[in-house]
Amino acid sequence: MSRDRRAPLPPIAGRNCDDAWPDYKELENLKRFLNGSAQIYSRKRTGFCSQCQRALKQAVKRARHIGLLPFVG
Amino acid sequence: MRHFASRPSHRERKENQRTLSLYESMILFDNAVVREDWKKAKSVIVDAVAKHGGTVTTSRRWDERRLAYPIKNKNRATFVLCYLDIPGASLPGLRREFELSERVLRYLLLRVDEIPATEHELTTAEEAEGFSVPPPPADDIVEPETPESNQETVEDILAEGEMDDRPRGRRTERASAEVTS
Repeated sequence: MSRDRRAPLPPIAGRNCDDAWPDYKELENLKRFLNGSAQIYSRKRTGFCSQCQRALKQAVKRARHIGLLPFVG
Repeated sequence: MRHFASRPSHRERKENQRTLSLYESMILFDNAVVREDWKKAKSVIVDAVAKHGGTVTTSRRWDERRLAYPIKNKNRATFVLCYLDIPGASLPGLRREFELSERVLRYLLLRVDEIPATEHELTTAEEAEGFSVPPPPADDIVEPETPESNQETVEDILAEGEMDDRPRGRRTERASAEVTS
């Protein structure tokens, strides 16, 4: 194990899922959880519980369907 | 078995198909229709829902924006957010109506429990007499690629042919050596 290993980035959402429930219309909120290629961050990075992460996934997919977000960034 | 216990029974599902349920719908309109007449565009939704035994509770212009990718050769669209009461059994008909319509670029239909409190106010504000829809920008149509850019000129083809004549790899070198010997 190398000593200069980078520390993990802090989770984006609040610790106890007290973030707003993801909605496909709130694009600015959704973009916080996407990388430069519009891919969804993992649970480790978002800090969401499984239910919230699933809601995020559903919201992003809905936004993609109506052309608010790209499928491939 | 909690997952199965929470599912509605067959009888409940049959009942739900007949009773009115609340749905949220986001509809993407072609900007050409909006430029023509805004009220006419809105009536497309009202007529389609009424035809299938439902009512539109609120409907308003959500936004006009550039799409992340072209849909039906359009770069921009007007988004209309509406809440409607419709029996579940007539949803397939409504979906078909939207899919066949040339004015509707895309739609999203979701089952919701309640209408957000601000929706009624925003709808009444839009229905007021002074309201006018800002005209959408003109660059909403995707320009087709010019055929000139795709056409290969005779010189290009000839240049490629010259390239192919050159020997490639050991095998061709060996073959040419055998021929000369």
